[in-house]
Amino acid sequence: MRIIVCVKAVPSTTEVKMDPVTNTIVRDGAQSVVNPFDSTALELALRIKDEREALGDDVRVTVLSMGIPDTERLLRDCIARGADDGLLLSDRAFAGADTLATSYALSCGIRHLGRPDVVICGKMAVDGDTAQIGPEIAGVLDVPCIADVRELLACDGNCLRVRRGTDAGIELVEAPLPAVITVAKDAAQLRMPAICGVRASLAAPVEVLDVAGVGADPARCGLAGSPTQVVRSFVPERSSGGAWLEGSPAQQAEQLVELVEGMGL
Amino acid sequence: MDAPAAGAEESVRQGHPLIRAFTAEFDDYRHDESRSQGEAQSISFPQTEEDVCEVLRTLHGDHTPITVQGARTGLAAGAMPHGGHVLNLSRMNRCLGLRRDADGSFFLLVQPGVVLSELRKYLKGKSIPSAGWDESSLEALSALQDAPEQMFPTDPTEASACLGGMAACNASGARSFRYGPMRPHVTALRLALADGDVVDLRRGQVFARGRHLELSTEAGRTISVDLPTYDMPHAKNASGYFVQDDMDAIDLVIGSDGTLGVITQLELALMPTPPVIWGVSCFFADEHQALDATVGLRDEVASAAAIEYFDPASLDILRTQREQSTAFSALPLLAADAACCVYVELHCQDEDLALAELDRVGGIVERAGGSEAATWVARTELDRESLQFFRHAVPESVNMLIDARRRTDPAITKLGSDMSVPDDRLHDVIELYRTTLSAAGLEAAAWGHIGNNHLHVNVLPRSSEEYARGKALFGEWAREVTSMGGAVSAEHGVGKLKRDFLAIMYGEEHLREMARVKLAFDPYGQLGRGNLFDASLLEGGA
Repeated sequence: MRIIVCVKAVPSTTEVKMDPVTNTIVRDGAQSVVNPFDSTALELALRIKDEREALGDDVRVTVLSMGIPDTERLLRDCIARGADDGLLLSDRAFAGADTLATSYALSCGIRHLGRPDVVICGKMAVDGDTAQIGPEIAGVLDVPCIADVRELLACDGNCLRVRRGTDAGIELVEAPLPAVITVAKDAAQLRMPAICGVRASLAAPVEVLDVAGVGADPARCGLAGSPTQVVRSFVPERSSGGAWLEGSPAQQAEQLVELVEGMGL
Repeated sequence: MDAPAAGAEESVRQGHPLIRAFTAEFDDYRHDESRSQGEAQSISFPQTEEDVCEVLRTLHGDHTPITVQGARTGLAAGAMPHGGHVLNLSRMNRCLGLRRDADGSFFLLVQPGVVLSELRKYLKGKSIPSAGWDESSLEALSALQDAPEQMFPTDPTEASACLGGMAACNASGARSFRYGPMRPHVTALRLALADGDVVDLRRGQVFARGRHLELSTEAGRTISVDLPTYDMPHAKNASGYFVQDDMDAIDLVIGSDGTLGVITQLELALMPTPPVIWGVSCFFADEHQALDATVGLRDEVASAAAIEYFDPASLDILRTQREQSTAFSALPLLAADAACCVYVELHCQDEDLALAELDRVGGIVERAGGSEAATWVARTELDRESLQFFRHAVPESVNMLIDARRRTDPAITKLGSDMSVPDDRLHDVIELYRTTLSAAGLEAAAWGHIGNNHLHVNVLPRSSEEYARGKALFGEWAREVTSMGGAVSAEHGVGKLKRDFLAIMYGEEHLREMARVKLAFDPYGQLGRGNLFDASLLEGGA
């Protein structure tokens, strides 16, 4: 059984600073980390591996990323925690990719690795919040996709069964393999590496491929393959001020009602 | 030595802008984290050294007892008032300046009420509030912003402690295994005496001659002290006054439990944060394996900055909390066969060195009977935070458990030990704890700084009868630990709760010697009354 986990390097800081002139995120060298949603995806993959291997199956978990060369460090950290190997797509030609170009590149990486049984992605990345990569990969690969998985109930060689979140509540869903799932952050907590895992990660194979190496069409990669155009990005203005309501609680309640009605709410 | 009559207090308070009546709104200031409740008649919240001296001068006339408080996070009731006045320094929370010496080391001058967590935030962000600083401090701040990140190494579990309180009890923490307690990291301080006079001390400038010390105050008075004659234990120690032949005078003040004067400023020696900090939790099937691993880690892992322990009962408490409380649901999941845990923190200059040390840790774990696979290695900020949450969840959970039991029996309070022994008595002291707890039929959880042979054994009494039995057991341990060459308080200080243990550790005559030191600084025994000594030892004054 082969499981591929897609991971993205995101800034480690939780306080994203915006450049007031260019309105872009200030990337001031803060060390990047694995997107927390993708950490959850890895843990679910490792649980499937633990469970299936206990039953005698052979399960291989590969972590896949598109990013700068330093991303290899994060892939090795994933291996220290239990993944078997990694593939990094790294090339200047991948830069500036929107979700379409990113999912195309990752799909090329998945095809390069061979037919997976399950592809697991985080539901979204904390620095982009699009939640599009998993479903788009499923579209490119033409396999079923289950988004916003809250709980993995079972996964054998033929199908997987999960609970997923919807606007109406929780759905119990089953899909045949191969399939793509995207997972909610709280679905699991990524395990820490053991000493032997850290040691193994140093020698484990992490393949690094450029656009040509992964067999991708340069016209569909990076900025060239990204139809999305960012017209403008800006920091929303923070409104300040307010009104103090005075008087007895009953008087304040009346004033509040007037205010709310005045706003047409 | 009784507290002055209410009438006298009233006359002191009238018209004084700093001193306020101790009304019900100040009830919180009747206790610290030991949860023992005291009484007071008045309270002040000075903001400057001048304010402190003014209050002291005002209260000196009628010898009003004064309890100095910081953030009230102490566990030995040192900040619990003993009648009289509460001098609360929490509003003295400004950073006053920064110095850089010729070697490029940084020294931060702070008021005593600066809180440790705030200090850490300032240093991590390289942004220290600098309003009112002089030119040379601002230059040093600019240099600090260009330098590698700095840290203050003393790390008590309670990060809301304030620096003045930490100095007063010579606080430690997990990292004291490598960096020692707070004492060596304080390079200067100013001490306001009970009469409002001030002593200015800088490390390396005033020394005892043998066991005799003379200090000059700013008003020109000389304090002449014969230091106690006891030898310090060869173990981590925060019990009573620190004394040594030819000692530096500043070391006497640090760890004096607020009994000699009021620390109004202190200068902290900062150090570069190690570039690589990894935490490794090693799980074992039994306590003997954990002890063997501890000895190996202590002897063979040069970059170990902390070696901590969590016994089987502690891990069981965490398992229960994780299942039952949403607040603890983010705790990492413990393997079913993990009975106890030794945590080692590696501080290294680079990753290659850290990897070599990690290999060494793995070898020690396997040799002790554990497995490399049963370890957690925290190399990322997130993992380190997770392990810190895990470590801090133990005392927090025990406090919650005690609070729950107290609801059925109000006589029950926390019963936690703070004793240490020399390295070669580690196995003996653990054996002592296990044998006596079992014989007494008491439930307990033990955790803490095993690298320094310093565990916090917490008895978990189910009734007031068990509480009394536990308390008696602590007295027995104090005697045994003393006979092993250890200390009855290794990091919390003696305060009011452990003064009987201090008498066991040093004996009556040495306590009298300590009392004479106190009276040389504070002739009417006003400051920190009830801390270290019973008031009877101070009868008659200087």
